[in-house]
Parts: sequence; C-alpha cells; structure tokens
Amino acid sequence: MGHVSLKSLNKFYGDLEVIPNLDLEIPEGSFTVLVGPSGCGKSTILRLIAGLEEVTKGEILIDGNDVTYLEPSQRKIAMVFQSYALYPHMTVAENIGFGLTLAKLPKNDIRKRVLEAAKILQLEDLLERKPKALSGGQRQRVAIGRAITRNPKVFLFDEPLSNLDASLRGQMRVELTELHSQIKATMIYVTHDQVEAMTMADQIVVLNEGNIEQVGNPMELYEFPQTLFVARFIGSPKMNIFQGKVAAKYQCQTLGVRPEHMEISHDGGILKGSIRHIEKLGADTLIYSQISGYDTVTARIIGKLEMNIGDPINLKFSDNHVHRFNDGIRIDS
Amino acid sequence: MPNNKVLAIRRQNFAGWTMALPACLLVFTFLILPFFMAFGLSLTNQRLVSPNPTEFVGFENFQQMLGIGLLTMEPDVDDTGNIKIDQEGNPVYPRVRNFTRNQDDYPQYFKKREWFRIGLPNDKMLVVLAQDVVFMKALFNTLLFALIVCPIQAGFALGLALLINQPLRGINIFRTVYFAPVVISMVVVSLLWRFIYDGQNGLLNALLQMFSLGLFESVDWLGNTATALPAIMAMSIWQGVGFHMVIWLSGLQTIPISHYEVARIEGATRWQTFRFVTWPSLRNTAILVMVIITMQAFTLYPQVQVMTRGGPLDSTQSLVFQAVVRGYEKQDISGGSAISVLLFLLVLSISLFQRYLTREKD
Amino acid sequence: MPVHKMVGLALRYLLLIWIAMIFIFPILFMVVSSLKPDLQLLMDSSSLRAFLPVGDISFNNYTSAFDRAPIFFFIFNSVMITGITIVCSLFLCSLSAFSFVFLTWKGKGVVFAIILATFIVPFETIAIPLLLIVNNLPWIGLEGFKTSWINSYHVQIIPFIADALTIFLFVQYFRDLPKDLVEASRIDGATWFQVYRRVIIPLSGPIVATAAILKFLMMYNNQLLWPIMVVQEETYRPVMLGLQYFFQLNTQWGEIMAYLTIITIPVLLFYLVLQKAFIASIASTGIKG
Repeated sequence: MGHVSLKSLNKFYGDLEVIPNLDLEIPEGSFTVLVGPSGCGKSTILRLIAGLEEVTKGEILIDGNDVTYLEPSQRKIAMVFQSYALYPHMTVAENIGFGLTLAKLPKNDIRKRVLEAAKILQLEDLLERKPKALSGGQRQRVAIGRAITRNPKVFLFDEPLSNLDASLRGQMRVELTELHSQIKATMIYVTHDQVEAMTMADQIVVLNEGNIEQVGNPMELYEFPQTLFVARFIGSPKMNIFQGKVAAKYQCQTLGVRPEHMEISHDGGILKGSIRHIEKLGADTLIYSQISGYDTVTARIIGKLEMNIGDPINLKFSDNHVHRFNDGIRIDS
Repeated sequence: MPNNKVLAIRRQNFAGWTMALPACLLVFTFLILPFFMAFGLSLTNQRLVSPNPTEFVGFENFQQMLGIGLLTMEPDVDDTGNIKIDQEGNPVYPRVRNFTRNQDDYPQYFKKREWFRIGLPNDKMLVVLAQDVVFMKALFNTLLFALIVCPIQAGFALGLALLINQPLRGINIFRTVYFAPVVISMVVVSLLWRFIYDGQNGLLNALLQMFSLGLFESVDWLGNTATALPAIMAMSIWQGVGFHMVIWLSGLQTIPISHYEVARIEGATRWQTFRFVTWPSLRNTAILVMVIITMQAFTLYPQVQVMTRGGPLDSTQSLVFQAVVRGYEKQDISGGSAISVLLFLLVLSISLFQRYLTREKD
Repeated sequence: MPVHKMVGLALRYLLLIWIAMIFIFPILFMVVSSLKPDLQLLMDSSSLRAFLPVGDISFNNYTSAFDRAPIFFFIFNSVMITGITIVCSLFLCSLSAFSFVFLTWKGKGVVFAIILATFIVPFETIAIPLLLIVNNLPWIGLEGFKTSWINSYHVQIIPFIADALTIFLFVQYFRDLPKDLVEASRIDGATWFQVYRRVIIPLSGPIVATAAILKFLMMYNNQLLWPIMVVQEETYRPVMLGLQYFFQLNTQWGEIMAYLTIITIPVLLFYLVLQKAFIASIASTGIKG
C-alpha cells in the first residue's frame, strides 16, 4: 500500500514555472528522499503530493487512484513539517489525536491509538505537556506521532531534521530509519542535506531546477552519477572536477575524481602544487591543495600524515575511478 | 476528470466567500453604499420628508455653500464731500444690505451675507461676503481647530512620552494616569468641562482667581466668542493627549537601547541624543500622530454638541455639527451630504499627503 | 546617591506628579462633586475644597438622579448594544480576516482592497445617507414587521459590527501566525471552519482582547451622534443620550455629576484592571501596515 506516481506534473507560481514536467514513480514501502539545492522544487513536489498546493497540470496517483484534486485529508497521507507545526494550545495527547478527534472517533479509540503512537516514540510520560515545555527532539517525535495515528499510506517529511542540533540529527536519522522498517509505509522525505539522503534512503531522487537529474539507490548515485550535477552534489567532500588537459587525456570535457581516489605520488604525479589547508580527522586526513591550472583539489588520505601547509605536493589517481562527462552527461567507457 | 479540478476550485471559492461574506456585506451596506450615496445626494435637493420629488441639481449645493464675494466699500460722504464720522471717530460705511439686496445693480452680491471685514488703507473697507456664512465659519473653525490642536497636542504628547519613557520607579502609575482621560467618553468630558468653564461658578475661574490672588477677572469661557473655541481646543487636548502619548511611546520603544549607549559613549548631550538618535527614528511615528490628530480634529463634533451647539455667534460651528444640524435637524439631506462630501475630501487629501510623506523614504 | 542626583530625581518626580494632577483633578472633581449638594458644590468650586470630599457628603444626588431618569435602563441599553456589537464584530471580522489570509478565492484581492479603503471614511461623513438607508430598511422582530429601523436596538448595533480597523487588525495578526499550523490541520482533516474555530481562534487571545477593547471604547463612549439621529424613543436610548434628562427646567449639577460618575467609573475601573491591554490596544492602532 502506498505507491505514488507523478505524471507529467507541472507547476507555475504566477508566471514562474517551478516544475516544468516531472514523472516519478515512488514504489510502495520505499523510503524515497528528494534531494537538491534550495529552490530546486523538492518542497513544492512534496506539497503537491500533500495537496497543499494545486498542480497546474498533470496527475498524482496514490495506489492507482487519482488524488490530484482531492482535499489533503482525503489522500491518506500524513506530513511532518520542518517547523513541526504543533498546535501550541493543545497538549501532546491532543496534538497527536487531533485528526482522530476531528473524525469523531470514540474517545476510547482515540486514547488507545494515541497511546500506541506514544509508545513507539517513547512519549508516554509527556502526553499531558504542552509543546512549549518540550525539547526540539521531543517536539519532532510528537509531530511524527501525529502522522502515525493517521495511519497513512504515505508519510511526507519536509526537512524534518533541519531544526535539530547535529548530534540529535544523527540520532533521529537512525530512529526514522527504524520507524520505517517497523511500520513499512511509504515515506517521502525532502532534504537539502545529501548526508541524510545517503544514510536513510533506499531511493534517492536528485532534483535540479524542477527537473529530475537521477533516480536510484544511494550507491548507484555515488558510484555512477549520471550527470555532472549529481556527481558534484552527492558525496562529501565534493568530487574533484577537472577540465582542459587532464580531461582531454581521458577523451571527455569534464573529468571527476572523488577525493578518496586521489593519492599522493612520490615519483611525480600529473597534478603538481602546494598544500593550502589540512584537516586532520583522526581516521583520515583531508588535504586541500592548490594545483596550478585548477581549483583546489581535495584528497582524502587514510591515516595520519606528517605534512605542513605550504609543502609541495604531487597527486595522482587511478584510471579505474574516474567519472567522465560530456555536456554534463556521463559517458560510460 | 477535469471536473475534479473545477470542483476543487469551487470548494475553496465557496468556503472563502462564505466566510468573508457576512462582514463584507455589512461593510458594503453600512459603509460603502452610504458613502457613494453621500456623493449622489449632494447633487440633489433631497429632504428627509418632502412633498416635492427629488431633483438633480448638479453642484448647486456646493455653490451655495462655497459662494464668496468680495466687496470693497468707500466710506459715506456728506454733502460737503467730507467723510462721515460716527461718534467714536470712525468712518461710516454704507450698509452691506444695500449691496446684497439689490439684484439689479449687484447680482454678484445678491443674497450673500457678511462674513467678516478687513480695513484697507485710505479708509476703504473690504467686506468678505459668503453665500452661507454659517458653513464658512464651520469650515474655518474646523481648519483652525486642526491647525492649532495638531502641533500642540502632538508636542505635548511627545513630551509626555519622553517623560514616561524614563526608567523610574513607579513610572507605570503615571502612564496609567496620563492615559486615563482617553477611556472617558468625550460626551462626559465635555459636560464636566462645561461646568469647569462656567462663567459664574466655574472651577477654572475660581482657581485662576485664587492663584492670581484675586486679580483675575472671571471669564465666561464658553459664552465668549474669543474664548469658546480655544476652550474647546484645550479640553480636547486634555482628553486626547494620552492617546498620542501612547503612540509616540510605542515609536520610542522601537529604538534599540544600543543606539543610546553609543551616543553616551560618544559623549552626546541630552539634547544631542534627542536630536540625532531619537528624533530621526520617530519620523514615521510623527507623521502617523499628525495624521491621526488631524483626522480626529476634522470630525470635531461631541464637544460642540454638548458644550456650545455652535455658539456663541457661530464661533464654535464645526463641519460635522453643521452636517448634523442640516441633515438631521433641518431634514436637509442633500445639504448635510454636501458637507459630508467636503469633509471626506479634506480627510482624503490628508491621507494622500501621509502616503506621499511615508513613501518618499522607501 | 550624590546630592545633585537626588535633587534631579526629586525634580523629575515633582514634574510627573504635577502633570498627573492636571489629568486627575477634573476626574476627582467630578466624583467629589457628585457627593455634595448643589449649594455647597458651587461654593466649594472657588477653593481647593472642590477636590476634597468634605462638608455635607451624601449619596443624595445619586438617589435623586435615579429618581429623575431610568438610569438602570440606559445602562442596560448601552451594555447590551455595546456587548452584542462586540461579540458579533469579533466573530464576523475575524472570520472574514481568516478567509482573506488563509483561503484562495476569486476576487479576494479586490474585495480586501475595497474594505481597506473604507478605513479613511469617517463615520461622520456617512451618517446622513446611512440615516436614509436605515429609515427604509425592513425588519421582522418580536413586534412584527416594520418598514424602518428607526427606534430600535438593531439600528444601533448592525451598522457597527463590521469595520475596516477590526478586520485589518485580525488580518495582520493572522498573517504572523505560522501557516504550517493551518496546513497541518487541513491534513488532519479539519474543515476550514474547524481550522478557524479549533486552531486559529484559540491562538488569537491577544488580538481578540485588543479588538474588543477598541470596539468597546468606540461603541460605549461614542453613542451620541448616531443615537441622536435614530433613537427618539426613550426605550432604546444609551447612556450618553440619557444625559438629556438632566438638562430640564433647573439643572442640578450634583445630579449630573452623579450620572457622569455612574457611567464613567465602570469604564475607569475596567481600564485600571486591564490597563496594559487598553494601552496596547491603542498602540496597535498606530502600527501601520
């Protein structure tokens, strides 16, 4: 339950076209992450699915039913907002059960389902509190709890972790993934953070200016980015991009090499330069070096390294790990 | 399937309209409709109850109200060619009615009445005639009221706001007291002050006499053409100054404390701090305060109704009071409407002026 | 504290107190005078005794004022007219503001612009045509069918329910509320009215208080011009018109002061209790959008 298909979706804001023409299948039970830089239309797509914005053209199907013009509440979806959107004047229990109250369910049933959700999210002790008295992480859980009680076919998450601090974000990533495997509903998750996409998704959709750049699972995207945009967007630190002589050597316009595939060469590599900056992360070391004729090139070296800023450096990479692009599109060898 | 889209749009349209409709309908019926009617009526001769059918008369009502004539008179001359002099040694002038009752020789003065006269050199006398002297006085008084009350009330209000904005213990008590008259009805205030202004037993006379050790001569403040309008002005300021103090205060409180701290570190005097830190930030508040006071001044009514009913000798007539007297008491709907339209044009010009002033900055 | 600072502080308080006296004394004079017989009242007004409850103090003026005029009746009228207007105004104005802010519908922009434009139309300029309108409006009430609204409660209520200021205050407040809440409740299955009733209104406490206070001051205090025009029958008169009773053959100033005190003190007490809200309301009329 919960297969979502978007067919020739088109959206204008006044004269501004934000989604030109978009087709996308979101398989039942998947954890699909829509990722892209701000302004790429990812939130708009989510809001179109939710019914909070009206499509200009195209269709939205959930399990084969056309929901394009249905009210948000009739689409069997639930949404978790970036701001959590908790009702400040209601207790946690009232917040979680609000949808059920509106549906005029018997009080006992509401109570039961609120408790169920609270148990999954470890909110049992907080049920009588107001949102104001909760921490960021707790509020986040209440928002998820409210979604769970709706028993939706599809969960929609709009950058839900961006208001949390780094450590909590890591923890919530794990919890959300666990929640997904526990309730097995379709989840559509919007973020601009490619780390979240990589760690949680089983399907990633990379968006750029309202168009889909690539759809695939995290490792596909990482190992075989189909466009230069995806190559640059996925992976941290970012992929090194070379044009000119180096690219020409591989018969392409643009050549990409991930930092972990760069090596220090002691017998004169093809890239000569000096070290601008070093980040020692313990397990590995990031070297940012200035290569003549190119931008900064990043290399990730395993282990510790005894080098200093300003030292000369030679870098090389193996032919097996290059990504070649012409006109921004991958060319396979 | 496209039906769904139409339905979805209709649903929102329906919900939106349904929720907005009751209030909009009320605004339309009781604000917008009468507003346009005022324009329409001012071009007719409609009366509340009249045997004659209503006719369209164009701008006659306005001509009637605004008609003005200037008459320059020479002093009367006796048989010997000398200027006639009255007992007090002033030249004697012809009677104004010689001109205004004589349609054949002076059609331009016909049926006009003297509004006021100004002495010119060479013993000439300029008489300003008006078709509708009472209206002219009402217009003049209303503008005068606005012109005088505005700067004084705004200035006092700013002074009070600065005084109240100090971090002193118990300052809230003073704020509460200064604001108190605002919540009292102007009707009540007017009646109370009618008693205070009373010529015989009035509190004001008594206090002035006491403080001047008996030197002060009692004045019938509201019964004297020279003091009636100023008395109403003073009372209006007393009642309304708290209102504007609060608006100034909210303007003052938007100025960050750090601005004052910088000024202190740089060694600004109190006056310099006000001149270069406080005042520039208050520009928009100042415009707002002035506009609100002007609008309130233009609609001067309860004070006149309760205290003087326009008297003595029309020295406290106001536009709104005249509109009510004509439109309601004399049942002259069209005449009252014409005054209303003029009043609205006055208000509109002030509000456009405010737009202009505030837009300039952006 | 150094001496010169002490002196400065003392001077500041002296100024504050002196100004406070200007504002308080007329009010004090009203209350004190209402307790004195006319003869003493007139004599006292030539000295500072005018502000002191001394001499022949009694509530006689109050008893005779109540004998002279049906004061309770006037108060009842005023309270009822003001109360019903406030309740209806808060409901209908907030409802339309909700629609203006959160819903999309055809013609919304134009309608809202027109409503805002009425902001600068003073009531005084439309009173006369309005008189003509209400004079010709039909009404079906308890007494049956009538062809005019003149001499009634509703003629003093209905025209004042909706006004641009109240709608505008709500619109401004609603615009600052997080839109997410509305969207979340739509997903939760709330109808638009339920969103209004169960999500937005519970969050609108401050603005409801502001709007109510402003409406109260507008209605209770300004019941003069319009009632003079549309209410001839005593039955429907508000307190401000009740004053006419006291200006008959021989004006009894003590009674007038008693009446003024009766109709003013409740407002002043109300103000003292809620002074923060009162002052905030007035200040909010100064926030231009």
